Amino acid sequence: MAKRLMCKTLGAACLGLSMIWSTPAAFALADIIDTPARQTDLAPVKLLNDAVRAGDRIVAVGERGHIIYSDDEGQTWVQGSVPVSVTLTAVDFGSETHGWAVGHSGVVLHTEDAGETWRLQLTGVDAAKLAIASKEEQIAAMEAQIEVAPESEKGDLEWALDDVVFTMENMQSDLDIGPVNPLLGVWFENDQRGFVVGAYGMILRTEDGGDTWSDWAPKIDNDRNFHLNNIAPMAGGALVIVGEAGQVHVSTDDGDTWERRESPYPGSLFGVTGTGKANEILAFGLRGNMLFSADLGESWRMVPNNAGATLNNGAVTDDGRITLVGNGGTVLMSDNGAESFKEYFRDDRAGVMSVVPVSGANLLIVGEAGVKMTDARGKNLQ
Amino acid sequence: MSNPNHDKGEHYLTTPKAEPFLERLIFNNRAVILIGFLLLTAFLGYNAIKIQPDASFERMIPLEHPYVINMLEHRSDLENLGNFVRIAVEVKDGDIFSPEYMETLKQITDEVFYLDGVDRSGLKTLWTSNVRWVEVTEQGFQGGTVIPDNYDGSPASLEKLRQNILRSNEVGRLVSDNFKSTIVYAPLYEKNPETGKPLDYATFSRQLEEKIRDKYKAQNPNIDIHIVGFAKKVGDLIEGIGSIAWFAGITILLTTLLLFWYSRCITGTLVPVFTSIVAVFLQLGALRLLGYGLDPYSVLVPFLVFAIGISHGVQIVNAMAVEAGKGFDAETAARLAFRALYIPGMLALVSDAFGFLTLFFIEIDVIRDLAVAAGLGVAFVILTNLVLHVLIMSYLGISKGGIRHVQNHGEKEDRKWRLMSYFAHPGVAPISLLIAAIGLGLGVYYKQGLEVGDLDQGAPELRADSRYNVDNAYIINNYSTSADVLVVMVKTPIEQCTQYSVLRAMDSLQWELQNTPGVQSSASLADVSKIVTKALNEGNWKWYEISRNQTIINASIREAPSGLINTNCSLTPVLVFLEDHKAETLKTVVSAVEVFAKANSDENHTFLLGAGNAGVEAATNEVIANAKDMMLILVYSVVSLLCFATFRSIRAVLCIVIPLGLTSVLGEAIMAVSDIGIKVATLPVIALGVGIGVDYGIYIYSKLEKYLLEGKPLQEAYFETLRSTGKAVMFTGVTLGLGVVTWIFSPIKFQADMGFLLFFMFLWNMIGAIWLLPALARFLLRPDQMIAKARAVK
Repeated sequence: MAKRLMCKTLGAACLGLSMIWSTPAAFALADIIDTPARQTDLAPVKLLNDAVRAGDRIVAVGERGHIIYSDDEGQTWVQGSVPVSVTLTAVDFGSETHGWAVGHSGVVLHTEDAGETWRLQLTGVDAAKLAIASKEEQIAAMEAQIEVAPESEKGDLEWALDDVVFTMENMQSDLDIGPVNPLLGVWFENDQRGFVVGAYGMILRTEDGGDTWSDWAPKIDNDRNFHLNNIAPMAGGALVIVGEAGQVHVSTDDGDTWERRESPYPGSLFGVTGTGKANEILAFGLRGNMLFSADLGESWRMVPNNAGATLNNGAVTDDGRITLVGNGGTVLMSDNGAESFKEYFRDDRAGVMSVVPVSGANLLIVGEAGVKMTDARGKNLQ
Repeated sequence: MSNPNHDKGEHYLTTPKAEPFLERLIFNNRAVILIGFLLLTAFLGYNAIKIQPDASFERMIPLEHPYVINMLEHRSDLENLGNFVRIAVEVKDGDIFSPEYMETLKQITDEVFYLDGVDRSGLKTLWTSNVRWVEVTEQGFQGGTVIPDNYDGSPASLEKLRQNILRSNEVGRLVSDNFKSTIVYAPLYEKNPETGKPLDYATFSRQLEEKIRDKYKAQNPNIDIHIVGFAKKVGDLIEGIGSIAWFAGITILLTTLLLFWYSRCITGTLVPVFTSIVAVFLQLGALRLLGYGLDPYSVLVPFLVFAIGISHGVQIVNAMAVEAGKGFDAETAARLAFRALYIPGMLALVSDAFGFLTLFFIEIDVIRDLAVAAGLGVAFVILTNLVLHVLIMSYLGISKGGIRHVQNHGEKEDRKWRLMSYFAHPGVAPISLLIAAIGLGLGVYYKQGLEVGDLDQGAPELRADSRYNVDNAYIINNYSTSADVLVVMVKTPIEQCTQYSVLRAMDSLQWELQNTPGVQSSASLADVSKIVTKALNEGNWKWYEISRNQTIINASIREAPSGLINTNCSLTPVLVFLEDHKAETLKTVVSAVEVFAKANSDENHTFLLGAGNAGVEAATNEVIANAKDMMLILVYSVVSLLCFATFRSIRAVLCIVIPLGLTSVLGEAIMAVSDIGIKVATLPVIALGVGIGVDYGIYIYSKLEKYLLEGKPLQEAYFETLRSTGKAVMFTGVTLGLGVVTWIFSPIKFQADMGFLLFFMFLWNMIGAIWLLPALARFLLRPDQMIAKARAVK
């Protein structure tokens, strides 16, 4: 009955969706998740979205399924063999050899040889099926609850049920198109346990190195399915997820349970990092907005800065320097534990997506213009 | 070896003893024929004056090539894609952030706005409201025009302008990387939407010069202006055609002087010049009546016609002087000259014409036009040279000075011919052949570097140092842009051009191409979709991908440039920007596209090559490369056949054709060494060079044969040949060379290339005939057998 009601009230939307489904989808080309990334010299100069260390190696991921690695601190790069051609958005290593990369079409890729060869572990289709199964469970539970609920509460409960049903139907219709939504962040504790997060509140967990995944969305307070943009560990062992609409979720039990923290900023947060000190969180996002908490998000203060542009990612060096990078060639640096930041705008004004500290207090940054080697302030090394 | 069908009794080229029918026909009706010529010249001359320059570029491209067929079929869909001008306004001292600069830029913006032909809604400069900056905020987008609302020229508002430019993504597009110049981007209408009249490129280009460049450079000495775009290039080309008039004047003057030096006779100078000019007028008039205009290629044909007219006229003047020297009156001398020359003259001219007609097999209209124009020209030269010229001379006669000059076969002159006759000497001939063989070897070696297509940067039609190419280099160096664009058209069912499968396929093609050598970058709806999808997701680069969700795709391309989607969404282009337009680059890229298109076209999307200047050039190169060998085979076959028909001897054919072959090989080597590719302009030169070059051989061989048949030994026969015709042949070479050498100074690059190559081929063919032909004769000809054969037919 609920479904019929949905289609009556949302007739136009249903019609629109069914028109999209009926579009013939004949591909002369193999699907983009079945098309291996082309080996190309261009990978290091094209868009790269994330870069991390795997032991002494640096691994970066980017558009068209590019995964490249460098064993000489970014001087020379080798392209890994990747079975997909989607834009990859994030990468993380649970050990020196075991790493995971995520991206569009909900792909999760896994390497066991420190980034040289990658295997497709999960697609957005699998992820959506898991999510739909969760929703169905939730719907069943809610229907059971309505059965026994007092008459006065039934109205509200039915409305809540309708919302969930609508969400599930959207997921279903998305799934009919294909794996439409991207994963945006990944974190692995070791070579077994890790999380991937993504668009429209996607979050999945594995405890067996990615062989099986569980939908973790029901454990996150995100009814409106806002994007989850990133996940990172803080000093002291807490895990933090940041996302759209100022979301900050904190887990202090290795990700089993999560609590949403109130944040003073309602816009999108794209990245989060620790500062090196226990329980300190530095979250950042749109238009240079930056939030600092010393108590795992119980209280916050905004960190003033002159970035102006969106901040995407950050890194902390052993000596406590915090470097944040962002759009428009923005590089921010703090040497006083996020009290204040000095800004530098790179000449090319190209967006910077990630930063890895390298030897000699220098930085390796990746982004819109590929890999660049810079000094500690973000200025190109000659 | 006797030929039963052979015309009994008289050899082809020996002078007929009796008055031939043609001679009687012409000389018995002198007045009538002259009046006929007067009327014809008046009529066609009137038309010739009214002939218009016509730089129709459709005629310069191979219309039957599939790429061009595809391009023309979809031209209306791609209309707004390629036709625009970009005016870079450069500040010499300081940067663009000064009130003076911005004021000048504003005035130029207004001026361009009102130019006829500009699509005003698409005009883009820092001053137009369609140039905006956008920023993502928590609430959505925030933006405004790049020029601040309250701009007043103050330092504060200039600083605001600078910030807006940095936020606007226009650096490298509308504003140069070094902030020393900005672009006024003006899309043009092919057809004026109000009047329906096609854009007048010549006028538009002139207005850009007068109303923009000259006016504002005078007004603000601190700026410089650079203008590029198809319309400007065409305008410059049309303007370049104009300079031809100067060359014509210089050529006529030089030729007249040379002719006088040669003949020492005012009549013998002015009459050939006059009749040759008449031939030019007849040719131009006939062209116009046939509906042709003067394009930058066929504008050169009148020079050739003039030169051919003069060079054959020289033979008549020469023969008449000889006859007059024997004491005949003007009319009889003219009759005898006609009798002696009408067969070899006609043969030489007919072989010229056939040489030109082989050009007809190249499927490019300008080359065919060239064949028509040159063929017509030669036909008129036959008339003016063998009829009009002779008739006028029959009234005027050769002056005494001219006769004396011809009779003046002094010792000195003879000593020169004697010396040159050693080319036929058994000791010298092998050396000549050895040198020729070495030359051939070197030629073959160097011509390996010969390439098809245009090899220079910038607009290949114009010179590298032309203003257009200098402007073009400036804009390429200061902006992220390429002048060489290949357009792949992606055809889909109606309303399907934005489907995910289409965008994904285009994106795959683009990636394939970006990994192909010679490709700089590429752009399509797929890029627009990715970049806008990213922008719609708060500018987050992680969203830089084509969404599978059609609703998101549709949102992402709502503001796509109109050129990227046609009206019923059945065609969308992929623009491929190339590093250059060298033939090798084009070939690599085009074949990459073809392989991809073959593997990935289906009922939902077909990939079609190829529009854009690079697409047209790739097609042209292909046609030219295919036509080149075919044309060489044809022109050599035709020339060999004609020679064989004339002299009935394969040995004679070899004597005449081998020097031509050497010239062709050396010509190609010179092209390779001087970086001239085989292209629309230079391919005809090969045919013209052979077709016209054979004249020398015909004149020399026919005399040589005559003296050999008289029983003279080879060297002696060759000495007599040189004495009687050597001077005329050498003179012919020089006149033909002079006729084309002025083109070397043409502002149009391909005219200069044509002039240079023709000059070389005309001169070198002449040298080949005089130097190599006798050496070959030494080895190939068997005078005994020739005489026996001649006797046998008798």
